[in-house]
Amino acid sequence: MTGLVLAIETSCDETAAAVVDGRRILSSIVASQAELHSVYGGVVPEVAARHHLTTVNAVVDEALREAGVSLNDIARIAVTRRPGLIGALLVGVATAKALAYATGKDLVMVDHLHGHIAAVWLEPLSLDAPFVALTASGGHTRIDLVEDYTAPQLLGQTLDDAAGEAIDKGARLLGIPYPGGPGLEALARDGDPTAFDFPVGLRGRGPGLDFSYAGVKTALLYVVRDLGEEGTTARRADLAASYQEAIVRPLADRLMRAAEIHGVPAVSIGGGVAANGRLRHLVEEGAASRGLRVAIPDRSLCTDNAAMIGAAAAFSPAIPWPHYVGEDAIATAPPGGIAA
Amino acid sequence: MTTFALDTATPTPSLALVGVDGVIAELWLGRVPGGGRRVLEAAHHLLGACGVVPADLQQIVVGVGPGGFTGIRIGIATALGLGQALGIPVHGASSLEALALGATVACREGELIAPVIDARRREVFAGAYAVDADRGLRQVIAPAAWDPGDFARALAQAGPAVIAGDGAALVPALPTTRLAPDGPVQQVRAALLVARVAQEGPLPVLPHYLRLPDAEEKRLERLAAEARA
Ligand SMILES: [Zn+2]
Repeated sequence: MTGLVLAIETSCDETAAAVVDGRRILSSIVASQAELHSVYGGVVPEVAARHHLTTVNAVVDEALREAGVSLNDIARIAVTRRPGLIGALLVGVATAKALAYATGKDLVMVDHLHGHIAAVWLEPLSLDAPFVALTASGGHTRIDLVEDYTAPQLLGQTLDDAAGEAIDKGARLLGIPYPGGPGLEALARDGDPTAFDFPVGLRGRGPGLDFSYAGVKTALLYVVRDLGEEGTTARRADLAASYQEAIVRPLADRLMRAAEIHGVPAVSIGGGVAANGRLRHLVEEGAASRGLRVAIPDRSLCTDNAAMIGAAAAFSPAIPWPHYVGEDAIATAPPGGIAA
Repeated sequence: MTTFALDTATPTPSLALVGVDGVIAELWLGRVPGGGRRVLEAAHHLLGACGVVPADLQQIVVGVGPGGFTGIRIGIATALGLGQALGIPVHGASSLEALALGATVACREGELIAPVIDARRREVFAGAYAVDADRGLRQVIAPAAWDPGDFARALAQAGPAVIAGDGAALVPALPTTRLAPDGPVQQVRAALLVARVAQEGPLPVLPHYLRLPDAEEKRLERLAAEARA
């Protein structure tokens, strides 16, 4: 695969653009809206869509400038088509289609989850298939078998809440403002992860690779209620550490189990929850003890970004000009997995 | 000067190619859900039918609403993407004023023109304008999201008026108002965005939502309640 790819990502609350040259990232610009949404305690789709619209062209300009290239130098344009907030996706898709159409370029429509998985293909990790990939974020929690980057296969996923969602909800119960991930992790550093025995999702239920996070969130709610305001304040660090452990340990455990079952030599993690230090530690430790290669991207490549969309574009079919003019964004993931 | 104009604020998106001597071609999409999502496909066909390629375009004019939020954003994102890629200026124009301008042909002496776009949730985006001899519009009621009954009362105060647009039927009938005839005067025509820019100059390419996101409205209500308490 040759030529520069300009990639655009607007599926949730980050407006992102990147220029990638094969495995090399020439630029990766992310305009985060996290602060904007924090007053609402979560991502508000209409607010996100409004902000993408006023930001996306400047972010594209910045990505081109930082890469030291012009739009003329770009071979293909890539954009996140699905899944995500539809109003947010549509801004990126309309922008990418217009940029590609006006310049006679081909367009690659990328699945956001394919992007998270393909992030480890980029330098410096440069992980080659086969491996198993954990993707955990506010919207997704899944493990895929990547025998080939073009067609990751779903092995297991959450049956209810996403891991990131459980983290945000737990953080809120402990009085940590949205987004709760960094705050919970900081608090947990001073706590004992074994202080409270929160139910680990689907523990002891056979060899499955699925997840469940509804129970742990409810368990925290009860403990906080029983401890009362004073008791909760006194034990916040232990609560945070135990709760975080109940969420990230099953992620690491099932990822290792998936690697064993499928006999692959490597594991990877991605998605916003993969920025969590405890998860990164557990995955590193688990992989080392099993002699597995482990690909843990830089935090900036775990959370939503466009470089990963540019990476996935290398493994997705390009739609030749002008046959994409009628292509559309799609809110949902396709049944069973990833649209490559 | 070849101008490409588009408006996706209403369920019947409109596109036009306008040259120095006037409109070269116009295209409407029928009332289909999410019609705005087809706007680039429609643009491709419109340009193709005129023997024009994107690189021939010299300027873009886009309707900034008011209307459907998603539709407006697709129109603006498309316009800005084309403009960014081609290195040509993109100008904004009010979809509501373009609707008013198109309906002036149905306007009798002394009547105001009241463009009305369906805002869903039993509201309308509407305003009212006096029309002068050379079809210039003078704002009499500022565009806003209205309860249709409240808008009718405001209009009754302002004077006799002809109402046009896909939200016209939502406004209660008054002795002093009448509906514009069916046909093109009921729709936003992209070519009239260009005419509006020629009359009044361009607007910034920013959406005229005329309504806050629900979450923001609730947040402000909560803050107001807290301030009272
Ligand atoms: Zn993501």
